[in-house]
Amino acid sequence: MMQVKEQAILLGARKSLVGVIAQAATRADADERPTIVILNSGIIHRIGPNRMGVALARVLAAAGHVVLRFDLSGIGDSDARTDSLQPLDAALADIKEALDALEAARGVRRVILLGLCSGADHAAIYGGSDPRVVGLVLLDPAIPPTRRYRLRYWMWRMRWLGGRLSSPRSTARLVSRLLRRDAADVDDEAQDIPMTPSLDSREVRDFLEQAYRRAIDSRLQMLAVFTAGRGDRHNYRTQMLEAFPNLRFGERLQLEYFDDSDHVFTSRANRARLTELLLGWIARTGFSDARERSGVSDVPADRLGEAGAHVVRGPVAE
Amino acid sequence: MNPFYFGTRERRLFGLFTPSSAAKARSRAAVLCHPWGQEYIRAHRSMRRLAVRLNAAGFDVLRFDYYGSGDSSGETGEADLDGWRRDIETAIDELKDTTAATQVALVGLRLGATLAAQVAAKRRNDIERLALWDPVASGPAYLRELEEASPLGDADEAGRDMLGFTLTQAMARDLGALDLAASASALPARTLVVVTDAAPVPARWAAALEQRATGALAIESIAAEPAWLEHRDSGAGAIPVKVLQRLSEWLAS
Repeated sequence: MMQVKEQAILLGARKSLVGVIAQAATRADADERPTIVILNSGIIHRIGPNRMGVALARVLAAAGHVVLRFDLSGIGDSDARTDSLQPLDAALADIKEALDALEAARGVRRVILLGLCSGADHAAIYGGSDPRVVGLVLLDPAIPPTRRYRLRYWMWRMRWLGGRLSSPRSTARLVSRLLRRDAADVDDEAQDIPMTPSLDSREVRDFLEQAYRRAIDSRLQMLAVFTAGRGDRHNYRTQMLEAFPNLRFGERLQLEYFDDSDHVFTSRANRARLTELLLGWIARTGFSDARERSGVSDVPADRLGEAGAHVVRGPVAE
Repeated sequence: MNPFYFGTRERRLFGLFTPSSAAKARSRAAVLCHPWGQEYIRAHRSMRRLAVRLNAAGFDVLRFDYYGSGDSSGETGEADLDGWRRDIETAIDELKDTTAATQVALVGLRLGATLAAQVAAKRRNDIERLALWDPVASGPAYLRELEEASPLGDADEAGRDMLGFTLTQAMARDLGALDLAASASALPARTLVVVTDAAPVPARWAAALEQRATGALAIESIAAEPAWLEHRDSGAGAIPVKVLQRLSEWLAS
């Protein structure tokens, strides 16, 4: 592994965003690998939960990438913005400023956005709007519940409660009601499942679908990793496909499910698994290629858009 | 605001320097010492707010990360308390080398306060005053707290995982031997100790402070939320404004 160098910088129009850039000591200037930008998770500062941002940045830098970790405005050490943008728009504006700074100072023209939780959502929402973004690594992004999510949730709930339902008949009735329900409807009986209510609204579904549609249209390569730690939102590997039935992710989306990980990949085994997965994905997508690439997608057009097609990678978690 | 790396090539420490924002011509200077592990993450925004208040009160402030923590070089498993005490000294030297200050105020939270106290006892001529915010007075008690708070994490010869951070065997040993009562008599005359409800003070330490030959030190109790414990699932700690107020008013006095 190459030795990693780190440099502290101020980014943005007002030089108000604090960041750290990591790169390999022996990296060549002509290296065209995409720069990886790691976004904040919630209000935790740029080192990431359990310092995982630092660990990932160093591993990715040692593998040849330039990696930036920075604080969005008002988080960590970055100053608040002076305009009156709402939080989501402010985050998107911050990301643009950071990418502009990278381009101006270092000639960066290709970027992979990496985020956990809110960071994943920001990455997904921003990604398709900026031609410099070529890839997304989404760790526990927010995705709407599906019929299967509810079913699995209830099965888990019933096991856990030791079976509140007193008879096989009442169980069968509940299950059939759940299956008949359209995934997009919010109804009274589903209300008592304590999932984040906003994810189930038509408005949020449409918003997220639009964001992912833009990502697909922009031909971004995507890696989405879901953990068992967010059982309040997702509980199986292909939920993202079923949550957005109108979208054709095709081979651009690799899905993974870590069935024994908490939300922040705390255990050493899960951290190691995540790192290996990340490096493997980068190699598979060709982002590890140091040579200059054209802006055109290398996946033939006729391989995209097959109905419901997606790549099955890794062990299937059931 | 100036984020930068200082220290040696082998031990590069990340620092964030924020200059005084007051109108006064001559600045004073303060080094802020963070807690360890999850407590550091949760208290980060409180420490930043404290720095902002101190800047307004006329202080140049240096916040920094210990080796093997935050943005500093080193892996989490390479941390040890001797090294961290040296890092505090490096931060003091950095501030003295780059500002007009000939002495600095040293402020610490939790384990940072404990280490600051030990460094202040050693570097008496460089420390103008010392503020200890909910210090860890007893290493063994702190270890027990950590163990209670974290589910049994991975453990091997490198160390044991405590809520995502590696507690190395060296650190565990160091913490086991940590006892603030031992350095009570060597603390600067101008020392403030502030405790909130979440960090009860061991009787031994309170007694040692009271019985100092060089003058008794009182422990001030402020009813406030702990900055280093998770506040309402936010992932961060609460920001105890009353404590920040008391600290900055005392430091500026």
